[in-house]
Amino acid sequence: MVMGTLDKLAILADGAKYDVSCASSGVEKKNKGGIGNSKAFGICHTWSADGRCVSLLKILMTNYCIYNCTYCVNRNQNDIPRASFTPREIADLAIGFYRRNYIEGLFLSSGIEHSPNKTMERIYQVLDILRNEYHFFGYIHVKVIPGADPVLVKKTGLLADRMSVNIEQPSEQSLKLLAPQKSLPAVLAPMNQISDHILQNASERRLYRHAQKNKFVPAGQSTQMIVGASNDSDRVIVKASEALYQRFQLKRVYYSAYIPVNDSPLLPALTTAPPLLREHRLYQADWLMRFYQFQADEIVDERTPFLETDFDPKISWAFRNMHLFPMEINRASYEELLRVPGIGLISAQRIISQRRVAAISYDHLKKIGVSLKRARYFITCQGHYYGAIPVEAGLIRRALAPVQKPVQLTLF
Amino acid sequence: MIDYLYDGSFDGLLTAVYASYYEEKAQGIFPQAAYQNNFFVPSRTVETDLVKAEKVYHAIERKISDLSLKHIFYTYLSNEANKETKILNYLQLGFKLGRQIDDLHAQPEVLPIRQTARKVSFEAERFLGLLRFKDTGSFLYAVLEPDHHILILLADHFADRLAQERFIIHDRKRGLAVVSNCQDWYITDFPEEIGFTYSEQEKDYQELWRLYFSQISIENRKNKKLQTQFVPHRYRRHLTEFTTGYSDKNIN
Repeated sequence: MVMGTLDKLAILADGAKYDVSCASSGVEKKNKGGIGNSKAFGICHTWSADGRCVSLLKILMTNYCIYNCTYCVNRNQNDIPRASFTPREIADLAIGFYRRNYIEGLFLSSGIEHSPNKTMERIYQVLDILRNEYHFFGYIHVKVIPGADPVLVKKTGLLADRMSVNIEQPSEQSLKLLAPQKSLPAVLAPMNQISDHILQNASERRLYRHAQKNKFVPAGQSTQMIVGASNDSDRVIVKASEALYQRFQLKRVYYSAYIPVNDSPLLPALTTAPPLLREHRLYQADWLMRFYQFQADEIVDERTPFLETDFDPKISWAFRNMHLFPMEINRASYEELLRVPGIGLISAQRIISQRRVAAISYDHLKKIGVSLKRARYFITCQGHYYGAIPVEAGLIRRALAPVQKPVQLTLF
Repeated sequence: MIDYLYDGSFDGLLTAVYASYYEEKAQGIFPQAAYQNNFFVPSRTVETDLVKAEKVYHAIERKISDLSLKHIFYTYLSNEANKETKILNYLQLGFKLGRQIDDLHAQPEVLPIRQTARKVSFEAERFLGLLRFKDTGSFLYAVLEPDHHILILLADHFADRLAQERFIIHDRKRGLAVVSNCQDWYITDFPEEIGFTYSEQEKDYQELWRLYFSQISIENRKNKKLQTQFVPHRYRRHLTEFTTGYSDKNIN
């Protein structure tokens, strides 16, 4: 093998790993005479040593970059090894990996070499080889290069399954501070374009049978925010996500705990640990908005701009709304059940489904999959309350507080 | 009451269910090969009868539901002890209640079937990702040793995905393989470990994949416990990224 490929892969996989998204879900495609297909539920192929799922070959076209964003490992002023792949090298690598079932598809991102347009054009070339030469029907996620010509974005989107533009920071001020060469409007413009194309393409396809052969990004668009590089509160982040979901119909917002890669007075010190618990709580909050019908204001109101670290956001919400509890399992609506700590989507559905046939006893709840450790303080079952302590936020908090790890006393 | 013994096939199992309704009522159903004789319960071996099996199959579909049929088939594929008797108990309740049985998740006849079917379908979905092919030059070859008999659940997926490739997926634990020749696929005995030779290019791709796999992990977020939860050690010996060199040697 040309050793060049190994060296380039080492550099360009390393530069891509801070992008969180790895989803290969959201689109169902059959193989129509080439190689590959896609499953709507998405398929993970392995898990790396940090426990993150590996689904796509996540790689940079190049890590040369004309920009100098403070938080980014590939920024212009960093003295790191640089490399670029040709479009054909990437396409061949993707197919070689795909045939062996290492991956579900490709996630292609890039530093900005020469200009946004040049970079976007090369990304398009990769997709053109994969789709039109190899007839590849697997999953492709591409990063949109902010500032690239909308025509390029559109023709790339007709070959991709998902597109994403990273907003990086949840507020205009922090973006200005940390990425002075980027601006919020420049990030939002392609997002807006993608969401318009998706809607337009969908309605054209509904109206005219032969309107457009390809679907425009059928798996939708996503974005990513770095958490902990700026001073924004969780409320600012959750509100920003809600606005993105509503305004651009995003499929996902990803949160990435900031890992200090650069030394700068504007950033947390290099020794700062990535705020992993905060990231986890934000994902839980995000889940509440996408699947549990919560509003951002319910999760983080003005008086509590940060999510609690000791409790998940759903139980935090319940503590602030004790007047709604306890809820009777045999009477509560599906929407109400979703609000009970310890009841998830599947157990709520099972409760509703069993209730059509038979009443639910406390004994059934465990088999249905309800986490009674939390739920028992918030429900009654056939009129009985099983919490054993009064339904008061303070008392339940104490009962559920995480156990402090005992500290070993030293002898000397 | 009698114990029925069957040949291990799904049709055989359904024939035993048929016998329990039209001949003597069954106490339990067991695979003939693993049956322990019991002095208190008489036993009889049923001859697999495709006509009777089909009748039961369609009766489940029509009088209970597609969902129940799927759960029963997945349970049959599992390595769970006494799965046949659990299926029998489920069907006895199902033919009484009809479609309603799908709503009774917590029922003692239903819960074990649901849980087992879930395990099987979880493992099958996991192997859609965890299977690794090696290119022998004329076909692709993959080995796995799954807990449950999931080969049949993998075949359609890979036959569509790799429609223009010939491939073999070998379940080493059960001595069976899916063989696909671009037109269609079949399951066949595959008892021997056949030593294939691989091209230089195959070794290069394995090397590239191992490199990629180690590069993509973020040091500051290292979490081996989480990784083990997703990729249990028993699956790792056939995963290119967890093995070193080309001799399939285990590094764990």
